[in-house]
Amino acid sequence: MSENILSVKGVHKSFGGVHALKGVDLTIKKGEVHCLAGENGCGKSTIIKVISGVHKPDSGEVELNGKKYTSITPSEAIEAGVQIIYQDFSVFPNLTVMENLAINKALASKKKFINKKEFRRIAEEAVNKINFKVDLDALVEDLPVADKQLIAISRALLADAKLIIMDEPTTTLTKTEVKRLFEIIEDLKEQGVTILFVSHKLDEVYEICDSITIFRNGENVLSCQVSEMDDEKFAYYMTGRKFDSQNIKQNAKAGDSILEVKNLSAPGFDNVNFNLRKGEVLGISGQLGSGRTELSLALFGLLKPYEGSIVVDGKEVNITSPAKAQELGIALVPEDRLTEGLFLSQSIKRNINVTKLDELSSKLGVMNITALTDESKGWVKNIGVKTKDHEYPVQTLSGGNQQKVVLARWLATNPNVLILNAPTVGVDIGAKHDIHTLLRNLANEGRGIIVVSDDVKELVDVCDRVMVMQQGKIINEIASGDLNADMLSQYI
Amino acid sequence: MNSLTTKKLKKSLVSTEFFVLVLIVLLAVFIEMQSGLFFTNNNLVDLLRSMIVPSIFALCAYLGFISTGPDVSFPLIAALSSYIATQFVVITGFQGSIAIVFLVAIAVGLVLGSINGFIIAKYNFPSLIVTLGTSTIFSGILLGAFEASRMELPATMADFGRQSLLAVTNAKAGIGSSLPMTFLIFVGLYIIVYFVLNHTMAGRGVFAVGGDETSAERAGFNVKLIRFGVFTVSGAIAAIAGVCYTVESLYYLPTEFAGEEMIVIAAVILGGTRLMGGVGTLKGTILGTLLITIVTNSLILVGIPVYWQKFFIGAIIIIGTAISVIQSHNLFKSKKSKDSKGLQNSEVVINETAQKQ
Repeated sequence: MSENILSVKGVHKSFGGVHALKGVDLTIKKGEVHCLAGENGCGKSTIIKVISGVHKPDSGEVELNGKKYTSITPSEAIEAGVQIIYQDFSVFPNLTVMENLAINKALASKKKFINKKEFRRIAEEAVNKINFKVDLDALVEDLPVADKQLIAISRALLADAKLIIMDEPTTTLTKTEVKRLFEIIEDLKEQGVTILFVSHKLDEVYEICDSITIFRNGENVLSCQVSEMDDEKFAYYMTGRKFDSQNIKQNAKAGDSILEVKNLSAPGFDNVNFNLRKGEVLGISGQLGSGRTELSLALFGLLKPYEGSIVVDGKEVNITSPAKAQELGIALVPEDRLTEGLFLSQSIKRNINVTKLDELSSKLGVMNITALTDESKGWVKNIGVKTKDHEYPVQTLSGGNQQKVVLARWLATNPNVLILNAPTVGVDIGAKHDIHTLLRNLANEGRGIIVVSDDVKELVDVCDRVMVMQQGKIINEIASGDLNADMLSQYI
Repeated sequence: MNSLTTKKLKKSLVSTEFFVLVLIVLLAVFIEMQSGLFFTNNNLVDLLRSMIVPSIFALCAYLGFISTGPDVSFPLIAALSSYIATQFVVITGFQGSIAIVFLVAIAVGLVLGSINGFIIAKYNFPSLIVTLGTSTIFSGILLGAFEASRMELPATMADFGRQSLLAVTNAKAGIGSSLPMTFLIFVGLYIIVYFVLNHTMAGRGVFAVGGDETSAERAGFNVKLIRFGVFTVSGAIAAIAGVCYTVESLYYLPTEFAGEEMIVIAAVILGGTRLMGGVGTLKGTILGTLLITIVTNSLILVGIPVYWQKFFIGAIIIIGTAISVIQSHNLFKSKKSKDSKGLQNSEVVINETAQKQ
């Protein structure tokens, strides 16, 4: 018996003209939690599909549990103990928890009829493996996301899993849910199950993984123990670029006040005072429910304050609607770009232009196509959206580039004050750096920027000062000199 | 255990089936109060009689929805296969068992259904478009190629149609009603379909495919085979409905079938079957059909003219759909708040209200 549960050697795979995997190696020791990291399109999903038998590699070999395969079939992979927890969990929303748990096993054993008692026994066995408390008769569609994931995990264990591949398992989870997931992973590790943890979140990798392999452009660029890893190395190997987060703040200089908030109160926050100056990036942080989101909504006319005043450019204003806010030169980039910000199936061009339609149309409402095209092309170029053509639908872009499109749309209105809510959630490292640099440049052009975020590193990297909110009140303000990650973490 | 039963009770109280049941009771009581004729033996037997064919058709619509999507071809499959079965008896002078007549129709139904199934499963085309297309083709074959027209039934079939399971006479009004043998076929079909859907892997596969196609494929279900199977079987069921209808009416009329699909689909949706697949019960299907049948059959008892029936059916369809939309909306909301949990809740709610403003 070898000590490696999985060893992939020199695997090549092309789709049409795209060389997705260029001879990658991936070795995972028995019983470890191994991280597979890389930016979007680096070949992570392709290698998973090769291991699970969905894709046949063009060349190279896969060795599972000491047995060599030149190409493995899905059923051979399952037999060898490979189970995948997909991002969508592959559950049946319309069936009960019990059926979801038992149906795969029943299928695998080629049963023709349903035995409810047997199903219940299998389901109980499954949830007990990870000590998961759930109503077996509930419909899966009524469960929270985290429970759906636990169903997928317990179902995988039923199939006698030896290697569980989790594809970005924490994307849709809250912090508490992530903690619970990690406890379960620790528990599985003790039971001798090996985990391949696909993620690009460094803090998670530190917390849960033993070793790491990083892919870039279809090649594996690094394999090492997590203990030998640091932020800079991680970012470098992921992107192939060196980032200097110190540098981006270099030219910062604050000018006159552009937005002043006095004694502002609204549902969710109370008596908030601050002053935003031109050329400044102000961070607003705090836990979920601290009032940070509500504050940003109030500044954009989406939440009506019942007390206090807002002064823009020296004039007291009443922001009653988003349209009014835009008139005053305020723009808000919402938190959930997928549901609140973007028309995914529409082209990049249309998404960027949507805020400019009035301006670039005739009085009768006929659009000036040339002007709109120029406008959108300009933005795509300016902020570096990675795409072949701005006529492509937004859903073809990676998360980071989608976020850039949202930004472009609001920048097109030429705002003086730009408020961003969680601007880099779900965005990979390279794009994150690009967005941060862009924000600093925008500030240097004399705009006032507010970044609402709970990402400590982001706040430290990009902000001049950070206000921390708790239960609707500002409890602290950390100025530039004192701003560092340790300091900030105490408050969030 | 106690909490479990109360939970189940609560669940059934908010289910669409429950609302339909309430509507049925209200309607029945209303008609009874206005006319005193609803709860009479002949009216109830009439209702059962009128439910037979729509209920069997409802199975076709139901199977389509839970596995894939809308199926509008079943009336024409019924028309074409019962025509061929009737012609078979007429031409061959067949004198034997009615079962053979049904088998001939079923064979035709299987072939026609498999055409739907093949196109839908193999090419992944939307079922509405495919069945709309095939149903138009079947209609063309029936009226164009076969030049089907009104036909008296041969004795074998007419005799079966005249046999009754139960005959009652209303002493007061002197009106008699009888329940045809086809009622047994309807009951039998529901029992079989219920058993297959709930107690076999193939049946659960139908729900799995309707619920999430990708998950079903990853779990190892043969998605294409299941879809093909469902539409093929649905064709056979439609053929059975066609023969039932023909023998009940004692003659064959090719134009009687078309147009039936919309009312049947309305009944199925009313009964809580979800348009997007994977969700729906036979209980709901029966109740939905019963409600529509009461409207078409019994409103006349209170002196509401026939053309007003259409008004009521339309209103009930909209109300029924509204109920299920409101319910799924509530479900969505509660899901959303569950997902975001605790404090985040307030943010979600605020976001939502903010957007409305």
